[in-house]
Amino acid sequence: MNANEKLIALVNQMPQADARRILGTVDKEAVEKALGEILQGGKENVAGVVDLLVETGKGDDGKARYALHALAVEVCKRKDAAHRQMFNTALAGTLGSDRPKEVQAFVIRQLQIAGTKEATPALGKLLLDDELCEPASQALLAIKEGAVEQFRNVVLTRATAKQALPVVQALGVLRETKSAGEIRKLIDAKDRDLRLTALWALANIGDAESADLLLKAAEQATGSERAKATHACLLLAENLAAADKKKEAGRIYTQLMETRTDPAERHIKEAAMKGLLATGGSRRLSN
Amino acid sequence: MKERKRRVSRRQFLRGAAAAATFTIVPPHVLGGQHVPPSDTFGAALIGCGGRGKGTYADMCRGLNAKLLAECDVRFLDKADNQTVFTDFRRVLDRKDIDLIAIATPPHWHALISIAAAEAGKDVMCEKPATRFIAEGRAVVDAFKRYNRVYQVCTFGRFGASRDKNNILTHKIMASGLLKDKCQGVYIKKGGFKVKEWSGKPDLKPEPVPKNLDWDMYCGPSPLKPFVRERFGGTHRNYWDYEGGGLSDMGQHFFDPVQWIFAKDHTSPVEIEAHAPPAHPEVTGMWGWVELKYADGLTLVMDSTEWGQPYDRKPAKSVSLNDLSEEDRKKLLAMPDPEPMLSFAEAVKTRKLPGGHAEAAQRSATILHLANIAIRTGRKIRFDPVKEQIIGDEEANRLVNVPMRAPWHL
Repeated sequence: MNANEKLIALVNQMPQADARRILGTVDKEAVEKALGEILQGGKENVAGVVDLLVETGKGDDGKARYALHALAVEVCKRKDAAHRQMFNTALAGTLGSDRPKEVQAFVIRQLQIAGTKEATPALGKLLLDDELCEPASQALLAIKEGAVEQFRNVVLTRATAKQALPVVQALGVLRETKSAGEIRKLIDAKDRDLRLTALWALANIGDAESADLLLKAAEQATGSERAKATHACLLLAENLAAADKKKEAGRIYTQLMETRTDPAERHIKEAAMKGLLATGGSRRLSN
Repeated sequence: MKERKRRVSRRQFLRGAAAAATFTIVPPHVLGGQHVPPSDTFGAALIGCGGRGKGTYADMCRGLNAKLLAECDVRFLDKADNQTVFTDFRRVLDRKDIDLIAIATPPHWHALISIAAAEAGKDVMCEKPATRFIAEGRAVVDAFKRYNRVYQVCTFGRFGASRDKNNILTHKIMASGLLKDKCQGVYIKKGGFKVKEWSGKPDLKPEPVPKNLDWDMYCGPSPLKPFVRERFGGTHRNYWDYEGGGLSDMGQHFFDPVQWIFAKDHTSPVEIEAHAPPAHPEVTGMWGWVELKYADGLTLVMDSTEWGQPYDRKPAKSVSLNDLSEEDRKKLLAMPDPEPMLSFAEAVKTRKLPGGHAEAAQRSATILHLANIAIRTGRKIRFDPVKEQIIGDEEANRLVNVPMRAPWHL
């Protein structure tokens, strides 16, 4: 039996769907033993499992998908840096190839589980791929370490809205203050989702320079866009207050209190009042 | 004329705050009044009209004079008029005459729609499980606090449990803190988790998306994957992308009352261990049992009875007055019983917390999510109930706060 045949034999020990088409009778010990043997084969075996994947609906790769996922979980469970690095290198090496995008997306999702900073450059390159930018962004966010650099490498003003959207969101999630200036350029974007995501990202970053931009955007918007933009203003105020920028936070709260006069926005006025009180704002008000 | 910048005096501010506090007890679109007269009508909407939709809506309206003004479902592409029938929940929330939102979508949408509803000033009844992962629940709690809206998760076992004499006694013993960290209680839920019934069928072939379905909107914050009928319409429970199998789906019914009985609405288990085979990447599957321990020693057990050896580490043990010293028994019996829980209707009218409020829902959903994380990671995990983070296991934490598909975010 050559190496490839042996690998296939191990993968075939993954569970088989029963008569109900579910994995109802999994032999835990047998599966874990087979996974251990696959890992013993190192990078070649892991990459070999990726080679068994086919686009969903175009063949039977169910056991290979199960195996690759179980390996991702197993290398985390072992807390063994060498296994983890090997797994990362093997998977990262299969990305950006001519494999079907759906297969690459599956591989990326396994990196979302077990990825380390070693995999981030390979994932970063996919941020400009219309089909893979979303899973790549999510995997980078899960990995965290080394992710910011990859997101910052994307020139937002040159990316399409589809590519920019997950990147802006990720920079917001990661509270990447150095990117605030670039994100500010997007708050007038034609794409509604990109515009609102930029507002939220600036708020989550706690970018004091964006206060007037956010307030203006919220004031001009209508419907659910107004609710989202207003929420961004409150979030920014909360983040500024938490960063001890109480004066800046108070200004946002005060403006929201003064402008939200529609009874349907009473909850905004109340939230702003609460926020202002929490920042000691009432003491600054004139008697 | 140059517009003078309006200044708010301290007196005006405080008067406004007091007025706002008074006004919060009426529906957002109604001006004035100190309480809602029984004849007043609340505008209501249902988001997610399949499966439990009508039931969730009926549960929300019980005790309220509510009028259904809008229905929303991603399957309504062929009949949406964006007046009363919608496919996009955001358009529903735009309507100022809607005060109450019933959410009966699959769980991967529960948190985001709940939060958006709070931002739009609506009160919410949300189908269980409250969330798909732990960080979502915290964001829901924060949103409903920030906007002072009413949230109730749509499971009601705790209401009945809280009227039972024995449960009240257990609740008081646990809430008193008199047991300190010496609680010997073991609660075992055996069976009923529908593990096989709601296990997914792996490797199904993609199909064309039905013409009336907005598949991208259905997937929402979860990964956009090829359409497979099983991912939709009840069997969504079988996919990690949308829920967490029978454990998630039945678990909040089972453990929400238990959480109240043992006075754990404010905290979560600290040690979680599961007996299960390696999980499938996409579909939910088999597990044997999960043991969850709280910091005070209380143990909760989920025993599926559908895979592997049954749970045999500890026998069930109730908490009783015998667990206390004579002196502590006297102290306990002098303590008042807990206040009766408010229904959703009572909470909407009084602007107080209902029985199944957001924090309680977050904590009972967290029990389920921790159990599923232990199953999916195949290892014992330790949890910090204050930070709501898994301790010393960054990879397991990736399931505590799962990145969402843009533009959806917490």
